[in-house]
Amino acid sequence: MTSQARARLLGSGIEVVLMVLVVIVALAIALIFIAAYGVSPGRAISAFYQGAFGNEFDLAGTIAKMIPLSLVALGWIVAFRAGRIQVGFPGQIMVGGIFCSIVALKVGPLPIAIHLPLTIVAGMVGGAAWAWIAAILWAKRGVNEILSTLLLNLVAAQVLDWWVQQPFHDTSSFLPQTLPFPNSALYPTLLANTDLHWDIVVVPIAVVVVAYVLARTTWGFRIRVVGANPQVARHAGISPSAIGTQAMVASGALAGLAGASLVLAGTQTYMGEAFEGGFGFLGIAVALLARNSPWGVLPAALLFAALSQAGEVMAATVNISSQLVGVVQGLMILLVLAATTLLYVRRRRRRRGGPGVSAARAAAEIRGPEVGVAG
Amino acid sequence: MIHLTLAAIGVGPFDTDLLGQALILATPILLAGIGELISERAGVINVGLEGMMLSGAFFAYLATWKTHSLAVGCFAGIGGGLIFGVAMGLVAIEVGADQIVAGVAIDIAALGLTGFLFEQIFTNLPQIVVPTIGNIAIPGLSKIPSFGPALFDHDPLLYLGFLLVPASWFLLYRTKWGLAIRAAGELPMAADSAGISVRRIRWMGVLTAAGLAGLAGADLTIVQVGIFHEDISAGLGYLALVAVIFGRWRSLGVLAAALILGGANALQLRVGEQPYIQGAFWGAIALIFLLVLGYQLLRDRGRAQIPAISVAGLALIAGVVLLATEPHISLSQPLWIGFPYVVALLVLAGSRTSAKMPSALAVPYRRGQG
Repeated sequence: MTSQARARLLGSGIEVVLMVLVVIVALAIALIFIAAYGVSPGRAISAFYQGAFGNEFDLAGTIAKMIPLSLVALGWIVAFRAGRIQVGFPGQIMVGGIFCSIVALKVGPLPIAIHLPLTIVAGMVGGAAWAWIAAILWAKRGVNEILSTLLLNLVAAQVLDWWVQQPFHDTSSFLPQTLPFPNSALYPTLLANTDLHWDIVVVPIAVVVVAYVLARTTWGFRIRVVGANPQVARHAGISPSAIGTQAMVASGALAGLAGASLVLAGTQTYMGEAFEGGFGFLGIAVALLARNSPWGVLPAALLFAALSQAGEVMAATVNISSQLVGVVQGLMILLVLAATTLLYVRRRRRRRGGPGVSAARAAAEIRGPEVGVAG
Repeated sequence: MIHLTLAAIGVGPFDTDLLGQALILATPILLAGIGELISERAGVINVGLEGMMLSGAFFAYLATWKTHSLAVGCFAGIGGGLIFGVAMGLVAIEVGADQIVAGVAIDIAALGLTGFLFEQIFTNLPQIVVPTIGNIAIPGLSKIPSFGPALFDHDPLLYLGFLLVPASWFLLYRTKWGLAIRAAGELPMAADSAGISVRRIRWMGVLTAAGLAGLAGADLTIVQVGIFHEDISAGLGYLALVAVIFGRWRSLGVLAAALILGGANALQLRVGEQPYIQGAFWGAIALIFLLVLGYQLLRDRGRAQIPAISVAGLALIAGVVLLATEPHISLSQPLWIGFPYVVALLVLAGSRTSAKMPSALAVPYRRGQG
């Protein structure tokens, strides 16, 4: 083993230790909140463990929640590697779900071998199309993709509200929801009487595909070059705006796939107005905790899935609002960000590197595709 | 802003009530937008504005309920914003981490924190409506017939928001501090060598934005409605960010953008409750496209802007036809709620403003590392 490889291994070792510390700190802060409401830490920890892994049903629930989280996190990674910070996952999940509902309810009857894949693909197309709006605004009009995706999330939430109240409303129900989907469009259950469906197989496939594409293909290489330094990419004949657009659309397709899982493998067989369930933002936290590594997504998603599952159960067992998960989530992002930036600054200082890459990157990020040259 | 002009005259659904409503709905965007303007001029972009507004809304509501004092409520709102402002400052300025991701984290954390506390404190209580800050009519001006009451009979926070526009201009362009703020956002290294503490200036900027966003949140709960519900800010913080970009990092620009977005929101509420879309609405849209068309023709006389012109022209014709025929088209309410956000997207797409952007925006500054 060369000394360089050893140093790299040590470096990633430090990162893993750092992430574990961040998780412990964030959970400790959550425990303080819980203690403030009169639940002893011991009881809270055991309630957490019981809620996430205690029995077959909750364990299956935890694993089922990993699916949308991992897919969104992979979506973030694809866009982030190209230097794009798109945060439109909630909206892309919703539009993905809307597209799923069209194919599930209006196409057919078909055998499941055709109908299910078709519905899943429709979800991906929906997510990709919604991301494409932000991508094209960024590439052609220089609109900052963070702002546009945040706004598109708000628009998508209203479109979904309308969708389940008007054109696709199940008129036999007072609730805003669609008709039940036919079985041929739903993921079959993997474990009887639990939330675990066959969509779990999508996760390892997606992780392998994303990891392979980013690391081993020309397109993945282009994405990484554009993300690392748009100027260099331009000199090499790679168009940052084209690659950025493609990466954002691919990212949206992954979010759409997550949306398909949420509507086609949920506890209900219809689509309601709140099916997104906060997974869109939670997935970002997963990706950051995974240090933007496709393989790291799996443990990070497991942790966050356990948090959400236990949060739901704990609301009932120890009377603590499941909203606390949001606090832990935001805290973890801030802590991961702070910890890795400090690590990165220290490393660079040791190497006595040139002007900050992160600074140039921040400027390029916010300035949009073309203006970056002038800056 | 055309529909606001129409409102001042009073055409169809565009009456003076709409004008007053537009000003009220523009206020939170304006308050948060002016704060964000100062922060961005100092070089820190604050996507956490939404979360800070939400936190301000919650704590203002909580404090007003507990103490029955609206003044305490206002300060609690500012404090609620500042909690997250400190977090933002620590991560973005002291550590020098990615400001945008930090902002998103703050939005998530604030949504979680306010939702958590709201559920823990209020779940078993009936809905509590707290008293709201009343209006103060400006003597004389509010007596002007037709638009007088719509413009000059409002709450103090609204007046404060509008006063902040000239005040922020004066701060930025006529004071030593303003010079330091702009230097920290344009060329932090030069500012540093001139003896200005970039770190302190940026902290001031972040805390100003956080405090004003908190006050904007207070405006939502203890001025406008008197209640709190989960995610009550519903994207207004993002609209404030849009206002700063569309306003080209100028006080007057932020005001104009806040009025457009607040006006779109007021219009949405008004037209959304009508059984069908009235002719005056189509007329206003046709008028807007007419102006866009004229502007395009004037600006790009030599160069061919055929797609833009033809789109604006077609929309103009469609608008006139719809005005003449007045068909019974109605949109469902959720789509109307989404209307201001679509306007914000169009506003962003229509403005090429990067040239006016502070050069060092979102770039962390570390001494000794250019």
